[in-house]
Amino acid sequence: MLLQLNNIFKWVNSGGQRIFLLKDINLEVEEGEFISIMGPSGSGKSTLLNVIGMLDSFDEGQYNFLDESVHTLKEKHRSNLYKEYIGFVFQSYHLLDELTVKENLEMPLIYKNFKGAERKAMVADMLDRFNIVGKKDLFPAQLSGGQQQLVGIARALISNPKLILADEPTGNLNSKQGEEIMDLFKQLNEEGVTIIQVTHSEKNAEYGSRIINLLDGRMI
Amino acid sequence: MNFLKLAFRRLFRKGEHAFTRIISLAAGLAFGLLLLSEVLYYYSYDSFYPDSDRIYVVHENFKMDQSSDKLESHPRVSGAIAPGLQAEVPGIEAATRLNSLGDHVVYTEDLNSYDANISLADEHLFDVLPIPMVSGNPKEILKSPMTCMVSQELADNMGGNVVGKVISIKNYPDKELTIGGVFKTLPENTNYTYDVLVSMVSTEQFTWDGTNNWMGNDRYYACVKLNPGVKPADLVPAVRAMQVKHQDIEKLEEEYHGIVLQYSFEPIKQIHVNNVKDMIIILATIALAVLFVSLMNYILLTMGTLVTRAKSSAIHKTCGAETKNLQQMIFSETIVLFGISIVGALLMIWALKPIAEAQWGHSLVSLLNPYVIIPLVSLLVLLVFVTSYFPGRFFSRIPVATAFRDYKQKRGRWKLVLLSFQFVGATFILTVLVIVTLQYNNMKNADHGYVAKGVYYGSTQGMDGNKIATVLHELRSMPEVESVGLGFDVPINGASGNNILSMDGKRELFNVADFYEVDANYLSILGIKVDEGDDFTSNQAVANDVLISKKGAELLKLNNGWTDGVIGKQITVTEHGSTTIRGVFPDFVVRSISDPDVRPSVFFYLPEVKFEEQKIENPSASFNIMVKAQEGAQDGLMDKITEAFNIGFPLDDAEIKSLEAEQLDAYKSEKGFRNAMLIGNFIILLVTIIGLLGYTFNESARRRKELAIRRINGATLLDILKAFISDLEFVAIPAVLLGLTGAWFTADKWMQNFAFKAPLHWGVFAACSFFILILVALIAAINYTRTANQNPVDALRQE
Repeated sequence: MLLQLNNIFKWVNSGGQRIFLLKDINLEVEEGEFISIMGPSGSGKSTLLNVIGMLDSFDEGQYNFLDESVHTLKEKHRSNLYKEYIGFVFQSYHLLDELTVKENLEMPLIYKNFKGAERKAMVADMLDRFNIVGKKDLFPAQLSGGQQQLVGIARALISNPKLILADEPTGNLNSKQGEEIMDLFKQLNEEGVTIIQVTHSEKNAEYGSRIINLLDGRMI
Repeated sequence: MNFLKLAFRRLFRKGEHAFTRIISLAAGLAFGLLLLSEVLYYYSYDSFYPDSDRIYVVHENFKMDQSSDKLESHPRVSGAIAPGLQAEVPGIEAATRLNSLGDHVVYTEDLNSYDANISLADEHLFDVLPIPMVSGNPKEILKSPMTCMVSQELADNMGGNVVGKVISIKNYPDKELTIGGVFKTLPENTNYTYDVLVSMVSTEQFTWDGTNNWMGNDRYYACVKLNPGVKPADLVPAVRAMQVKHQDIEKLEEEYHGIVLQYSFEPIKQIHVNNVKDMIIILATIALAVLFVSLMNYILLTMGTLVTRAKSSAIHKTCGAETKNLQQMIFSETIVLFGISIVGALLMIWALKPIAEAQWGHSLVSLLNPYVIIPLVSLLVLLVFVTSYFPGRFFSRIPVATAFRDYKQKRGRWKLVLLSFQFVGATFILTVLVIVTLQYNNMKNADHGYVAKGVYYGSTQGMDGNKIATVLHELRSMPEVESVGLGFDVPINGASGNNILSMDGKRELFNVADFYEVDANYLSILGIKVDEGDDFTSNQAVANDVLISKKGAELLKLNNGWTDGVIGKQITVTEHGSTTIRGVFPDFVVRSISDPDVRPSVFFYLPEVKFEEQKIENPSASFNIMVKAQEGAQDGLMDKITEAFNIGFPLDDAEIKSLEAEQLDAYKSEKGFRNAMLIGNFIILLVTIIGLLGYTFNESARRRKELAIRRINGATLLDILKAFISDLEFVAIPAVLLGLTGAWFTADKWMQNFAFKAPLHWGVFAACSFFILILVALIAAINYTRTANQNPVDALRQE
């Protein structure tokens, strides 16, 4: 078992009322799965993804990741955990504008204290694998949306995470670029990477082996 | 990750306000560091002497009678005190004394002239106050009659190899000194400076020899070096024993009931600090205010830019960055911005160098000593840590999930607090500036009780006495000259002192500012009118008759019980003997209003011809020739007067001064302070305006939705401005009041230095507050108007 969510609740208090963002979420994810989370706007998809990615806290329930009880961990341990095992891919790519492609790829390795020579080799591998060697010294603003998302995925993968969390990874791309990215995800999943994606697209959701539907913070 | 490289890349990014932050920080650092370095410089005085912690200056503390409990402290002692201390007081490792001859013109054999400060020194000088020697043995030189040593700077000016050469002094034309050595030029941060050291055994060649005097002639700068571990208090019994033995102090105390004469030992490094302690407080307050305001502004602007970078914080975190990584990133950016700002500040200081050097009275290079540099560098390091810590903490704590959605800063009262600090600083320095300007103008334009405009004077020091009559004739024949007279000194230079004795000659009644002899024209040149009795133009005036100021006349009447005035009365004045009071004139300002000599003043009469005879008999004697110009005839007159003076100078090196310029020069310290305030005010206002623009820019972005909703609901521009500006003024008003309080305390402290004070009128404070509050409202109005005039639909769509 990669992760397990038991009776997860998340809420905010507004005007004396408790508004639930997530309500009684129970989810088990095995290693190697490809899960698509779907639902209308405001249904809690991104919130759920953030909770799974340990970027957001929750108010009630239990979350176990690789047998570690996330809900009992301190902030530092939690961040160590996601640093080690999780890669993030975003709709808006979220590359750092002031870094070149190569530097964007290198960044997670630096934070994981890889040695310089090792970093260089891993970045070269990744550039090669994604066929973006020619773009290594360009800044994000000099790339197309599809290219930026490729870099975003390459950055998420560079430290060999067990889990990729993708929040509408094709949302800002045209259909052709979107298809290429989804094919890439499929290929990665076949290579053993667990993927959880949030999407509005039925077509993209079909790439997953399992679809989870959310409505008003509740799994349906 | 190379955060420094990234920090450099960020410099040029739009919306980061990097250059605005750099300019405001650089301006604040330039001014703040310049003032602070001056304060630290004061603490470096005389610290260059080896074992300076063990060196003390001997002070003479005395009071003459029981009329006061307060002891007068004087940093000079009689000639025999220093050798006496060394011989008779255990615990003193070495003692020395110097006797200043003052500033002089020195001639080499080839008749080239050089300005030099000359001092007589005994052979123990280098045991206490050693200076590295370039050549010569200081002990031997200072033991040998008519031998001297010169500073390396003076030696270089004289051509380098000067040992063995002979020099003479303009004021002592028939005395020749042989240069026996060269010492390294003294640093500027010393209480006692000299360019030429003459052996003390030569004293009688230049002045009355008081080197063996135990009392009186207290003009010797005496310094002692104590043995390690000895404290000044340990010396008290032995010093008293020395006084008993050599001064018969017990008998004196018995005869003159209430007389006190003691010696104290002041640490040499503290002398200057004690002299300028008020200025240290004022300068440090202003420097810290400017630095504080600049830093607050920097933090305010930096926080504003970090809000727009919230997503980048989240991206770094999702890539594995920890809190410390993000703090390192902000720290690197701070280092880069600070580094550039410091370079900018140094360039600004370089540009301000002439003003700063004129104000401080020393070169800026002299600030480069460990006492200044080490604390300043430590302060800068601290500032970098402080200014990176808070933004770094803020940046690393932005929640990831929120940052990816739409991170907006909360209202954040801390921003208003930072802004209010700037208002405090701006109000403080503006108000101080206005008060300093008022005080300076008042002093400059005040009636000094005599006429300075159109009056020129020059010394006869070095003039051929036989040619004085020719010079006077030449001057009088010039059509631009109204009158020519003679006198020993002018009011702006102050006066020597003498005592008026009681009628029985046994008691000293009071001390007077003694201007010594003047001729019949002197008073009319200065426009001083005698309003009781006659002036010296009267046919009845005879040599040594005296004119006394009104204050002196009143004291005489009181002390002597005279009810019928003072005119025609005989008095005895030390150094002058018995004299007849010829007239009374109104008191005038002796020295300057900022540093007045409040004693009554006196002039003694000497006919012109006697002045000439005196100069012929004693070529070293000197007095001033005074020239009163005709009205409107001053263009180029100084050159003509100099030409006429040069008839009497073999080397054509007469120096003519304008009394008006000298009077103005007496207030250069106040003018410099006013200018420093002006620059400080400009910087603080600039920083505050930048801060205010940054704040209102961020606020209008943060509250764009609120502005749009207000407009849609019918609010006029005026309604919106009122609401937003009143928020700011709510913070500004208490800040302004705080700034005014600080300004009042500082100005009051500064004004304590002056006998004549510009009134601290409430209108000054009201006007300054009004100015700051209007400025705040104006800047806010401009920025908010721009946002309020946007199409509200656009603003809501973007939301």
